[in-house]
Amino acid sequence: MADPDVLRPKHIGARVRRVEDPRLLTGQGAFADDRIVPGALHIAFRRSDHAHALISGIDTAAAAAMPGVFAVYTAADLEGLVEPLRATSRMRNYHATPLYPLARGRVRHVGEPVVAVLAEDRYRAEDALDGIAIDYAPLAAVSDPRAALGADAPVLHEEAGTNVLAEREFSRGDIAAELAAAPIRVGGSFRFHRKAPTAIENRACIAEYDRGRRLLTLTSSTQIPGVIRDALADLLDMPGHSVRVVAADVGGGFGGKASLYPEEILVAVLARRLGRAVRWTGDRLEDLATTSHGFDEIIDAELALDRDGTMLALSAEVIGDVGAYSIYPWTAALEPVQVVSFMPGPYRVPTYRGRVRAVATNKAPTGPYRGVGRPIATFVMERLVDMAARRLSLDPAELRRRNLVRPEEFPYRVASGIVWDRSGFGECLERACAAIDYPKLRTDQGKARAAGRLCGVGIASYAELTGIGSRISAAPGMPINTGTETATIRLDSTGAVTGNFGIASHGQGLETTLAQVIADELGARLADIQILQGDSALVAHGTGTYASRSAVLAGGAAVSAARLLKERIIRAASHLLEAAVEDIDAADGRVFVSGTDRSLSFREIARAVYTEIGRLPRDAREELEVTKVYDPFFGTATAATHIAALEIDPQTCKVRLDRYVVAEDCGRVINPMIVDGQVHGAVAQGIGAALTEEIVYDEAGQLLTASLVDYVIPAASEVPPIETIHLDTESPSTLGGFRGMGEGGTIGAPAAVANALADALAPLGAEIFELPMTPERLFRLITEATAQARGD
Amino acid sequence: MKPAPFEYFCPDSLDEAVVLLAGRAAEAKLLAGGQSLVPLLNFRLLQPAALIDINRLSELAFLAEDRGGLRIGALTRHHALETSPAVAALFPVLSEAMAHVAHLAVRNRGTIGGSLAHADPAAELPMVATLLDAEIRTRSAAGPHTHDARDFFTGPLSTVLADDEIVTEVFLPALPPRTGSAFAEFSLRRGDFAIAAVAATVTVADGRITAARLAVAGADERPLRLDEVEASLAGQCFDADLVETAARLAGESVNPFTDLRASADYRRHLVAVLARRVLTEAHARIAVGAA
Repeated sequence: MADPDVLRPKHIGARVRRVEDPRLLTGQGAFADDRIVPGALHIAFRRSDHAHALISGIDTAAAAAMPGVFAVYTAADLEGLVEPLRATSRMRNYHATPLYPLARGRVRHVGEPVVAVLAEDRYRAEDALDGIAIDYAPLAAVSDPRAALGADAPVLHEEAGTNVLAEREFSRGDIAAELAAAPIRVGGSFRFHRKAPTAIENRACIAEYDRGRRLLTLTSSTQIPGVIRDALADLLDMPGHSVRVVAADVGGGFGGKASLYPEEILVAVLARRLGRAVRWTGDRLEDLATTSHGFDEIIDAELALDRDGTMLALSAEVIGDVGAYSIYPWTAALEPVQVVSFMPGPYRVPTYRGRVRAVATNKAPTGPYRGVGRPIATFVMERLVDMAARRLSLDPAELRRRNLVRPEEFPYRVASGIVWDRSGFGECLERACAAIDYPKLRTDQGKARAAGRLCGVGIASYAELTGIGSRISAAPGMPINTGTETATIRLDSTGAVTGNFGIASHGQGLETTLAQVIADELGARLADIQILQGDSALVAHGTGTYASRSAVLAGGAAVSAARLLKERIIRAASHLLEAAVEDIDAADGRVFVSGTDRSLSFREIARAVYTEIGRLPRDAREELEVTKVYDPFFGTATAATHIAALEIDPQTCKVRLDRYVVAEDCGRVINPMIVDGQVHGAVAQGIGAALTEEIVYDEAGQLLTASLVDYVIPAASEVPPIETIHLDTESPSTLGGFRGMGEGGTIGAPAAVANALADALAPLGAEIFELPMTPERLFRLITEATAQARGD
Repeated sequence: MKPAPFEYFCPDSLDEAVVLLAGRAAEAKLLAGGQSLVPLLNFRLLQPAALIDINRLSELAFLAEDRGGLRIGALTRHHALETSPAVAALFPVLSEAMAHVAHLAVRNRGTIGGSLAHADPAAELPMVATLLDAEIRTRSAAGPHTHDARDFFTGPLSTVLADDEIVTEVFLPALPPRTGSAFAEFSLRRGDFAIAAVAATVTVADGRITAARLAVAGADERPLRLDEVEASLAGQCFDADLVETAARLAGESVNPFTDLRASADYRRHLVAVLARRVLTEAHARIAVGAA
């Protein structure tokens, strides 16, 4: 018998230090802008300063004549070089929009690229922008999504014939009858304002063309190298082996780098055309104006309950402001549809109707942003729950307890069709309440309130679907398969282990967590494993990292491939050690025969298989390289409860967050330190969404928040210590038992903060229907509530 | 986001800098800490033909006590002010304000001369200089000049400085005995520009306020002294009602603007709230200091 201690997983579940950090923290990372290619041309874009206009003429002669300028390109110069890109979908009532690398005859939002200057450096390229004259014939612009629905609104895409780019409805039961009959109804019109992903590294890309090999290599700060490779191969009519997309080190993405952008297409087209490297490094102004925005929804929602607090019915009517184009590959439907498909949350809601319209406006396109739709759905649902609790004079935790899907009810089918597999909905609530000492928190709050202080406690419980497999598209009707992931694991002739994946880590620490999985499954040493990812050339098909998929899908593929490879290593060892396969196991980079002192290192086995020909019978020399594709098919639920405690200064309207607790069930925890880090960062972004972050356009479609002075992201001083509790259970639905968790913090935090604000303001009778609740909005709310209380 | 081309000069002495600036006055900009100038250059909102870098003028980096007051060289970094024992002893309100000036990285570079010459209406240093009746001393080809801080700032990012004038030092005159002071700021994040900031000094003798000063940033086109409020306090006995009335008057006597971050109403409200807090705190600190 092998020593049971040796067989116990050692790396999964441990706070293993991130193997990428020495590289990233000592300046040895290689980001797209770090790639030095002699003779590369730098692009600066002349971008539209109009929200909506026809382009009647462009004169680039003066710019082209300026020192250091190599060429100036407009859409006309690209005719015949590249096809427009369209994000298609099988969804009914959906209109794709063509996307050109440079605006073709018309601009639809401020910041849209119109002219590209190629120069020897970025300084010269920017100097030349002033030498470009563009004649615009302004069109009426529409910035308000409600106005964009109007009969007389300007239509952005005439071929669609409407500004409603997508429309969807989910329905179960007779909503009208249930609402009419319900004794308790709460509701309102909610607004979640537009947000920017703001990764610390702006988008950047460089394309190189090797004429001798006819190889186009795009190095880009992207989350989706595989998706881009496939799209460029189509657009440029090149075989996949001639197009390589590399996402080197990437400084954050949060969804903003999970789409294909015009700049990436343009550098690729021009590099191939010119046979020279062409690069573009976006600056913060370009990032805020053009990297896909998120979270821009208006939600009219109503929740009906019985007198005992049992939820009866929910209705939601959603308008999603998706901006000027339907983004590739996710489509404009991605976020708005998720708002309604996830609205019922982790609760038993028998009757539901949710309808959504994705409406085009003259703003930057929206796309995936950490949480996608669910932060908005959770904000609305959790506000409704708290409003109902107040109406029923029930504690908000108790009302949740009564309605969360119970353990015996899994798998539970949500009214929108989503199925929750067994997950710790109730456990998360109880664990979060215990961690924060909820009863004491309420007692302390009561005392503070009696002293006239505005203290609030907010709970948010949610569930999300992660690690989505091939049964469901990550975006509705999208013709791209995001539900499988490939791992190739090899033991090479030196005894080193390499794992190749199609994912693209951009801060998640996947080089560490996947090495942990392989180490345990293979019995290898962590130090002997290298994870390669972020390169379309590594596997036959890959997409990237987004949608809380990588730990589940790549982790599952790693488990599957490592297990098979381990069998082969052990079979080879059984020959070498002259022992039965059943008596052999591997750990710490060695195979050993149970109950004996006979063992071999992986290195010795590798040499025997690859080099020392003759040590193994010919037919026993198996390939020590295994490729497996993993498909979780449905995916798995991840659940959490957040609790926030805060105080509002009634005079200045300053919000101070005092406590923050997250209890989450992300299945089997691969690395608690990395999970903590993901939760902390995502909660910080959720706090930003709740309190300060807002992309503002004026009525004419001009962007007013074009710098980080005006677009206010939280700093360390605004984020409280965050306590995390991991349930650490195994998902029954995934290989390895992992659940995805990268987005959850951003899903729960806006709702928890909103509920805490509403709770703090309860003595004034004010409710929270809008996020972010900036100091200015809070000032107005408190002023109005105080005036009403006085009877003014 | 790259600056337009410019010529760069890096003089070794004030005399040399004065001559260089005199020759190029209108098209040149002085580069000190660069914390406001460089972003403006990168956005191409400013496109000067020349930059005169004064960071080598070590003669302008000093702190010296003088007649109970302080002479502060124009090239003194914010961090030096923030951590100076002399500043803390003589002008604690300045130490208090410095902690609100941006972040440590910015305070390591930014200079007092640069902040005053840049004249951001929401910045702390112009407001504190106004509060403390600072003298702003300059040099140009024509010789030295002295400006009263109260007359120095003329609007957003504009001052009385002539194109060829270099701020050389700031003199803060001594505060009277039995003076307390306080500073308070509201910003969206720690270190951001003020949505409103208010600072006060209160001087008492024989149980009465002999003098009070109240200055405001972020609530008007330039840092303000609220003369009317100050007058309402002088000669009075300090109590909560007096402060309440003064605070209300402070809110009414500013003329703030509305922008993305805050409405005029909210700024006016904040000025009143912060005025109440700093007057109360400044007065409370006298008792502590006198004990």
